[in-house]
Amino acid sequence: MELDNLKERFFALVAPDLPNDWEVEEALEGLTGAAPDLVETVLAQVPVIWPVSNSLCYNYLGQAVGALSCFPPAELGTWVNETLDRYEKGGLQAAQRFMVHVEEEFVCRLRGIAGLRFDEVQGRLLPYVRGLAGRDLDLAAAATACTDGETIYLPREISLARGEADNFLLYKLTASFQWAFLELGSFAPASPLLPAAPDTELAWLPLARFFDSLAHPGLAADIYLQLESIRARAFLARELPGLMREALPLLPACPAWPAAGDRAGRLVSELQCYCLSGDIRDASLAAAHGRRLRHLVEPGTDAARSLELCRDLHAQWCRDAGDYHSPQPLFFQGTFRLDLVLAARNRRRRSLEQRFVDTLATVLVQTPAPGKGTGGDREQAAGEAPAPDVALVLDSGGKRHRDAEQTAFLRINNEQVALDEELEALAREVTDEFGFLPPRFISSAAGRAGRAAAIGAPGGPAGGGEVQAPVVYDEWDHRRNGFRKNWCIMTEKEIPVTRSTFIAATLARYRGQIVRLRNQFEMMRTTERFLRRQRDGDDIDLDALVESLADSRAGLPPSDRLFVRLARDGRDIAALFLVDMSNSTQGWVGTAIKEALVLICEAMEKVGDRYGIYGFSGMRRLRCETFHIKHLDEPYGDGVRQRIGSIAPQEYTRMAPAIRHMTARFAEVDARIRLLVILSDGKPEDYDDYKGEYAIEDTRHALLEARSAGIHPFCITIDHHAHEYMAHMYGAANSIFLDDVRKLPARMPEIYRVLTS
Amino acid sequence: MAGKEIRLDAHRIVDEPFYLAQGDEVRIAEISYRCGMPLLLKGPTGCGKTRFMQYLAWKLGRPLITVSCHDDLSTSDLVGRYLIRAGEAVWMDGPLTLAVRAGAICYLDEVVEARKDTTVVIHPLADDRRELPIEKRGELLRAPPEFMLAVSYNPGYQSVLKDLKPSTRQRFVALSFDYPAPDQEAEIVQREADIAPELARQLVRLAGMTRSLGDSGLAEGASTRLLIQAGKLVARGIPVRAACQVAITQALSDDPELLAAIDEMVSSLF
Ligand SMILES: Nc1ncnc2c1ncn2[C@@H]1O[C@H](COP(=O)(O)OP(=O)(O)O)[C@@H](O)[C@H]1O
Ligand SMILES: [Mg+2]
Repeated sequence: MELDNLKERFFALVAPDLPNDWEVEEALEGLTGAAPDLVETVLAQVPVIWPVSNSLCYNYLGQAVGALSCFPPAELGTWVNETLDRYEKGGLQAAQRFMVHVEEEFVCRLRGIAGLRFDEVQGRLLPYVRGLAGRDLDLAAAATACTDGETIYLPREISLARGEADNFLLYKLTASFQWAFLELGSFAPASPLLPAAPDTELAWLPLARFFDSLAHPGLAADIYLQLESIRARAFLARELPGLMREALPLLPACPAWPAAGDRAGRLVSELQCYCLSGDIRDASLAAAHGRRLRHLVEPGTDAARSLELCRDLHAQWCRDAGDYHSPQPLFFQGTFRLDLVLAARNRRRRSLEQRFVDTLATVLVQTPAPGKGTGGDREQAAGEAPAPDVALVLDSGGKRHRDAEQTAFLRINNEQVALDEELEALAREVTDEFGFLPPRFISSAAGRAGRAAAIGAPGGPAGGGEVQAPVVYDEWDHRRNGFRKNWCIMTEKEIPVTRSTFIAATLARYRGQIVRLRNQFEMMRTTERFLRRQRDGDDIDLDALVESLADSRAGLPPSDRLFVRLARDGRDIAALFLVDMSNSTQGWVGTAIKEALVLICEAMEKVGDRYGIYGFSGMRRLRCETFHIKHLDEPYGDGVRQRIGSIAPQEYTRMAPAIRHMTARFAEVDARIRLLVILSDGKPEDYDDYKGEYAIEDTRHALLEARSAGIHPFCITIDHHAHEYMAHMYGAANSIFLDDVRKLPARMPEIYRVLTS
Repeated sequence: MAGKEIRLDAHRIVDEPFYLAQGDEVRIAEISYRCGMPLLLKGPTGCGKTRFMQYLAWKLGRPLITVSCHDDLSTSDLVGRYLIRAGEAVWMDGPLTLAVRAGAICYLDEVVEARKDTTVVIHPLADDRRELPIEKRGELLRAPPEFMLAVSYNPGYQSVLKDLKPSTRQRFVALSFDYPAPDQEAEIVQREADIAPELARQLVRLAGMTRSLGDSGLAEGASTRLLIQAGKLVARGIPVRAACQVAITQALSDDPELLAAIDEMVSSLF
């Protein structure tokens, strides 16, 4: 608003007083550039302050815009009232001090009243964010909101709004904003401006490299963040209209303004203003770039547009960027941490490479090499089999036409071999990530396969001598589609008991839950069922009686099954819990498993099903171990509790012999339902070459053996990500996957309940 | 026999039901029908299996007799029994027998809920014998070519006590159903609930979000049926957030954190 207009408005507000012209002009100076609705908000308080003190009112006009960058406009009235309180108690100086130190004097206290901490909102926001993204994003706390593509970081505390509900809304807005950046592809614009990165480049991110190539990288990055925020806000208004409708009134009215003379800072703040209000206020900015800025809020724009505009704005302003200081980011927009994005991308790429090379190498070892082809003319180091000559062919057009038949196969020494599902899925993941399939991946897999073939087939060298156990199990070798006879030696051991407060602490921590579980499980026990058509019973089965009368009239022999009997205990279930005690369960996983066991025991005592618990681990085929924790009919007493408390990570995860051992134990058990619940933290694997497909197939086969022995196996896997192989190994309906280990103690009894009712 | 005609007429589907095909399931079902092969429909609850059967029955011009299975369902409930009427024993066909006699389509919904000893009566009907023995009457019914058997079940994670025996399952042509693709689902919800396209799209988005919560502990996300119910409430004046709360959120879970998270999705979307 122009100064003259402002003056006119002001004189109208304080009429009939006629204040000194130049004093008014000086006070209104700070409002001249501000947005009209902001001006209105500020001026609305004038009639409240003016009658109390004219000087205070002039002071207020100078401070109000700054204050509004710290709290939402709705709080302005409260702030003014407090200012007046200070004035009455401590005079003009006290009031001035209050107004200048907005953060310490006012916002800080709002925070004290109603601040909301990250750990209070995490539980509710995590499924929310995952639902939004449709994938397993994580949440973590940080000083400023940002994301690396795998985790969304949120402020440790949000306290800008007054009540808990509103602060939660701001948390949700902040999380949704970060999701929007991911959804909009802000970190990887498909733009010709970006330098092309070599396929396996780990050192830099194209976007960061682009900023670094400009005169003022910091300014360029800030401009880009603002442009993407503008896009994100418009995107959210379309996608999540409810959220935006509710959250917008809680936002500050304007950003904090940069120091006078910081022209580039002024530009960034103007862009923040646009993001906050949806209006481009600055006339010259609107004239020069309005069309392109407004284009950003339309559906269908992409990050490349922002980048282009960013380049042009930067070119225009970088000459004035001598005093540039990055303005405070709007709290909900957070910052772009390209360093974190790069680190996360590299983690993803490395693990993808490793998984791909592992899988391909395993496939190559297990595929009987067809004709030697061109492999023969290569010189190999002594003792190494020649690395096979391998190419992986993946159709490129497949992504366009979903229905078109996809062609994907391996060519080994000039012969085509079909890809198995896991490898094909991985290969597609690799091409999605890198743009194509880096040849290095194939050559290192081929090299590894060559070395492995020279050493011998998986199954490993027979090592270790301390064999004393009586039980021997076969192992399934899927490559020859047959068993390796008497391959694994299983010892059942006792757990060395250690004293700890674990049990007492767990019982105390989950007291409420245990009470509820016990009730729930007690109800399962007392499911009373009416058995109809019995020879004798508590009551007459009227349906059966009528039917038998009718039958006899029709000349048929009437049935004598005419009674209803109340059956109180129809359950007859025996369950064995087999828990992974491999080294990888060290830490949270192990603790959660132990807590889950305590809870399930407490619950099982009520339902009355027979149950046993064993741990498993070991190293190599000759030293497979199961650990006794509770035998099937052993009472749940101090000994069992102590052993649960003493469960500690041991060695490797050769799961199949343990499953076979449980199947053998079940053979002696007579029960209508025999349930084997397996708790583990991921892939089966042992010290020797027992890993990959071989291990998965052996485990799968052990489960099939269990099933054909009339046992229902059910597997609970705790891992960060679900893997393709799990459904194959366990059977999709016979397994569940938990990505959050903290959920295990609560979920496990629940799973058992669903499984058996 | 007039009574029987009336009973059957109630099962005829006169008007074309609205069914949006997901793939070639209609063609496959028609061919199975011509070959006398029974159908097994797999899929999560509320994804359109029942509607598909109604459409198929209409298309084939056969009456559709649906039986919802439960664990008290006895063989007599399916096949029939003697009743006493005016001092006389009268045989009364069960729905399965009725369907065989009339050459109708018999659809056993949620067949795994039925006890295993009950499900065995369908075995001889479900292979190439296509016959139904009625032991009490000493009668062996041979199914006419117009008769078709269809069963449905939800293979989601559930009790080990309820699984389809291989001997039962291996008689069927199995059609796998899933929730329709977003655009199609939005069209279905819009039509069935009679709501604006934009609202239907948002409801489908909400469903998509809930369906990706499997790893966070939600066994099944919102079904098409739930979306339609929510839509109907809105169409009749219930505010959209309240409608989602009662028709979707509360129907999905009892876990407080999940409930809160789904509520947040609702309040973000609407
Ligand atoms: N492909 C479809 N075409 C038309 N309506 C559908 C379709 N899929 C689902 N519906 C709607 O969803 C509702 C629930 O489907 P329904 O067939 O009852 O589910 P199910 O039998 O699988 O539990 C139906 O009443 C119908 O309104
Ligand atoms: Mg392990």
